[in-house]
Amino acid sequence: MSLIVVGLNHKTAPVEIREKLAFNTQNSIKEGLKKLIQTEGINEAVIFSTCNRVEVYVYSNQEYENIVANLKQFLSEFHNISVKDFEQYLYIYYDRDAVSHLFKVTSSLDSMIVGEPQITGQVKDSYEVALSERTTSLILNHLMNRALFTAKRVRNETKIGENPVSVSYAAVGLIKKVFDELSKKSILLVGAGEMAELAMRHLIGSGIKNVYVTNRTYERAEELAREFNGNAVAFENLKEQITKSDIVICSTGAPQYVITEQMIKEVMPLRKHRPLFFIDISVPRNIDPKCNDLDNVYLYNIDDLQDVVDSNILERKKEAEKALKIVEEETEKFFQWLNSLQSVPVIVSIRNKAEQVRQEELEKFKSRFKELPPEVLASVDYLTQSIINKIMHSPTVALKNNCDSKEILIFAARRLFGLDSEEE
Amino acid sequence: MGTIFFELALTLYFAGFLLSIVGLLRKKSDLDRAVFLLTLAGFFLHTVYILVRYIKSGQAPVFSMHEATSFFAWSILAVSLLINLTYKARILSFGVILGFILMFISAFFPRSFPVVKPELKGFWIDIHALLAVFGIALFSIAFIFSILYLIQERAIKSKKFGGFDRILPSLEVLDKINYRLIYCGLPVYTAALIVGLIKYLSLLGFHFDPKQIWSFLTWAVYFLIFYLRVKGDWRKKKAAYLTIFGFLLVIFGFFGINLLTESFHKRL
Repeated sequence: MSLIVVGLNHKTAPVEIREKLAFNTQNSIKEGLKKLIQTEGINEAVIFSTCNRVEVYVYSNQEYENIVANLKQFLSEFHNISVKDFEQYLYIYYDRDAVSHLFKVTSSLDSMIVGEPQITGQVKDSYEVALSERTTSLILNHLMNRALFTAKRVRNETKIGENPVSVSYAAVGLIKKVFDELSKKSILLVGAGEMAELAMRHLIGSGIKNVYVTNRTYERAEELAREFNGNAVAFENLKEQITKSDIVICSTGAPQYVITEQMIKEVMPLRKHRPLFFIDISVPRNIDPKCNDLDNVYLYNIDDLQDVVDSNILERKKEAEKALKIVEEETEKFFQWLNSLQSVPVIVSIRNKAEQVRQEELEKFKSRFKELPPEVLASVDYLTQSIINKIMHSPTVALKNNCDSKEILIFAARRLFGLDSEEE
Repeated sequence: MGTIFFELALTLYFAGFLLSIVGLLRKKSDLDRAVFLLTLAGFFLHTVYILVRYIKSGQAPVFSMHEATSFFAWSILAVSLLINLTYKARILSFGVILGFILMFISAFFPRSFPVVKPELKGFWIDIHALLAVFGIALFSIAFIFSILYLIQERAIKSKKFGGFDRILPSLEVLDKINYRLIYCGLPVYTAALIVGLIKYLSLLGFHFDPKQIWSFLTWAVYFLIFYLRVKGDWRKKKAAYLTIFGFLLVIFGFFGINLLTESFHKRL
């Protein structure tokens, strides 16, 4: 029996290949699963497809080589692409490596941005599709549940997803360190630009409602104001508007400082020194860096934001090491469980349990009927032994037999004979 | 005298204190719940202890160094717990640390009931003492918030993160709570001083003792902070520094003057 994953991701394959092999819709995953499960030797299957990776997990009771060849064939036929075109981009993991790979993927340790949270949900969705198509059973069900559990542990026990790793999110994080109720704050966008607009969007998403936009060309300001559901302000009124704002995002193409230290020095008393947060995304800079030296004024330029992001990424890498330990632990646990599904140890445990019961009852019997002669006791001993042997015969044969659903049988036997009673 | 309640409360605070330190060193907030429950349990026993002493002695339990320090700690924890329940600011740990230190100090003072001259017994003297201690407790927590404000402000200003800033709330919240503490503390402390002054004059006539002068000095500092805040034209960082200065006055007034002059009010 073997667990196999065949797949490719953003590290191993270029996007042209990834998009050819992707299962873009739920329906295509469903169709794929249907084909897979009919393939010779494949007992259980899950297909996982995102924009960064395509992976097929299968459980089989045949040898690896056949299965891997079958899986490649399946991908080739399903996507109409010849095997040799994509073979070199594939990674193939077996058993323990396959399990730990899945756990890493689910915990977002294998992602392009380590620690990003969406992947866990995507794994869950793929698993649910497989569940609805009934292409999973005992082994993959347990495996997928353990993967989701591992991801949960990683999230709770490490700080992997804690600090933002994109510039615009980092800006929001910083602003939240200064201000509490964002819904009561006003924001002013000076100029335009992709990153500034992205930051605006994140801030509006965080609850800011009073949005003002200004631009050297008033029409452009009006246009952006409509987009953000805010108000356009004439560029001449910049200083006045800063007095009324709490957050200012600056991104213009001006070659000199648009907001000077002198200007802010004059503005601060007018706003009773309420904190003022500047984000300067423009290059060359549009806000005099000396403004940061003024009391209650906080100024972050694009490099400052990038530094915050870099240190957060470093932090995540450190946390990823802790997370790998958790993945190892969980892989180990999974294999302990898998090994408990071997027939010989189960048969031995059932027999041991039966023998234990027999001995206990025999002792009780002996102490109750002390006057019985030894030869009678010997026959009782023999009798009980043969009863056990007779009863145990057919379960033993059944468990030893190689059939498709052997693991389920073993799993059931463990339940029926109460072998796992000490576990959860 | 119900000393067992004191010991138990001290033990629970100690556990809360240790967990707080561990939580702060790890810069994580996962122990907050445990700290809260330990503190709450300790606070309950501490309250019982104070009530038992009040009932047995028939006077407010703030007339010996042991009692006063213990009530100081009680007030700090009461306010910290209240803040913890009403704001989403995870700052109980800091309150527990200060509260435990005061409790620990109070354990070293003799626990016998203080002998108070009969003319000093009475409702108004009790009120004066209780309010005075409660007032400085509010100022002490404002001190904690000022320190936290400065830490958070420095992190944001210098653009270096990864320290306490992670578990601290925003500057706005720190400042708001700080302001409210001063806002509540000032009337409480003012009332204590007025009641004290009236009683003092009626008992001794016009005289000054060091404690009195010191208390009015302290009051003046907090009034200044309050005034500047109400006026609005004030940089919060400077308010924070002034609050820290005020706290130093409070602590010296509480311990220094009392120990140096060997009584609360030397002439009494």
